[in-house]
Amino acid sequence: MTDPDSLFASKDVPSALMRQTLLDRDRVRPQTPQPVSRLLPWLNVVTIGGRSIMDRGRDAILPLVDELRDALTDHKMLIATGAGIRARHVFGVALDLGLPTGVLASLASTEAEQNGHMIAALLAEQGVSYLPHTSVGHQLAGHLAASPAAVSNGFPPYELFEFPPEVGKIPPHRTDTGAFLIADAYGAAQTIYVKDVDGVYTQDPATAAEGEAELLPRVGAGELLDMNLATLPIDRLVLELMRNAKHVKEIQVVNGLVRGNVTKALAGEHVGTLIQAQ
Amino acid sequence: MADREDVGALQSLLISRSLTDLELLEASNSAPDYAILPDASVVKIGGQSLIDRGRAAVYPIVEELVEAKREHPLMIGTGAGTRARHLYALAAELGLPTGVLTDIGSAVAGQNAAILGHLMARHGVPVVGGTGFGAIALYLDQCGAAIFGGMPPYDMWQHLPAEGVIPPYRTDAGCWLVAEVYGCRSMIFVKDEDGLHTANPKTDPDATIIESITVDELIAMDLPDLIIERPLLELMRHARHATTVQVVNGLKPGLLTRALAGEHVGTIISAA
Repeated sequence: MTDPDSLFASKDVPSALMRQTLLDRDRVRPQTPQPVSRLLPWLNVVTIGGRSIMDRGRDAILPLVDELRDALTDHKMLIATGAGIRARHVFGVALDLGLPTGVLASLASTEAEQNGHMIAALLAEQGVSYLPHTSVGHQLAGHLAASPAAVSNGFPPYELFEFPPEVGKIPPHRTDTGAFLIADAYGAAQTIYVKDVDGVYTQDPATAAEGEAELLPRVGAGELLDMNLATLPIDRLVLELMRNAKHVKEIQVVNGLVRGNVTKALAGEHVGTLIQAQ
Repeated sequence: MADREDVGALQSLLISRSLTDLELLEASNSAPDYAILPDASVVKIGGQSLIDRGRAAVYPIVEELVEAKREHPLMIGTGAGTRARHLYALAAELGLPTGVLTDIGSAVAGQNAAILGHLMARHGVPVVGGTGFGAIALYLDQCGAAIFGGMPPYDMWQHLPAEGVIPPYRTDAGCWLVAEVYGCRSMIFVKDEDGLHTANPKTDPDATIIESITVDELIAMDLPDLIIERPLLELMRHARHATTVQVVNGLKPGLLTRALAGEHVGTIISAA
């Protein structure tokens, strides 16, 4: 048998990273780091909450869809939908059966997808369709050249490859995180989270005593994590990931139950809570 | 198994609370852990460390895998290697984002899976990907093994690295996550070194082998270079099934077989 080492050199493709483990911090650091391009600098990523909006049904969804329809003339959008109550149900079933986090992630992702199909159906007449992950990842530019918006599953395609979470078994990469990651990858202009509260509060406004919960108009992602609030209107993982954001240095959480908020946020107005990477 | 009271409390929190609620997350700990494929093992065949070396390294490891699958159901994941390094260097130079690098790097691990698949075809071993995992139980039952490209399917949704644009979760993480989600009995990384060393033994002659270590110890050592992806250590801290992994030298015939039999022949890294 030939000594494998004698063949090694001839089996390499020359590159700056050749033969590296890609784990040596000093060697992997680019000699002349290039700025990361914004692939779709005009893109707006609008996330529609599952429990906060979709589960409320017609009264919450139709006015919001009307607003989005009107916005199609001025804005290119990727509309990402959340999962909601059916995901909670399937989590309950799967957890009871002892199934792992990766299975829970796959099951919940299906629910976010169904919500996406419904939003896309409501905007079909305007040329909006639902795109599966593979199209969002590879053909979004083409779809948005043909149509002002597309709808996608907010969950990222982690599914069976979901991380085991730090605490418990609920999948950590959900709609908010998926929307953030795709927005950063495409270098989106704006990332807007449409929820059922006016923004981030110092306490959960649904359970706090009258007047106790205070709205934060503007807050740093790290600062918000440090506040260690019992609940948040946005997934904690988004706040953690914002630290390494290349493009998405600011996101806005807005109340989609208040008519006009989404339109204003798309126009760049401050109508909810702005969360900023430091 | 969790008792019924815990389960009832969890169900009610699931319906009433936000998924960011810490009490809910704690309560989900009470759920039992069911291992989906407890008899299977995941074996990762390195890209740069093995497949790029060609016949001299790959033929013997294929023989060993064919023999081993008689006794152990094997999920064989592949690394990417030198072409991925070329792609990453080129894409970074072009200012492309991590998501694009993930996608193109994934294709290289897929090529390596195809290569192994052709070599193992006569032994009835298929290559699976994406939705193919849905039939993994059938493949393992009927063929004893199945091959998959080791890159996790994160594509444009990959996490962002603190520095540069190289995807942080690559084929080591992808293969380990398969072992974790399926509740496999072992996770073996087949590389071209005897195990984890205190430094990269290819560039540092003073590097010495570490035979066993916990992830916390390894994170604390903050080694400048590592034989497995750094973010995998953080994932392992929260493992429910794949709580230990072994790194073995695939250039030394027989070590993989012994590792599958439960012997300690390389470096064992454990969650605690």
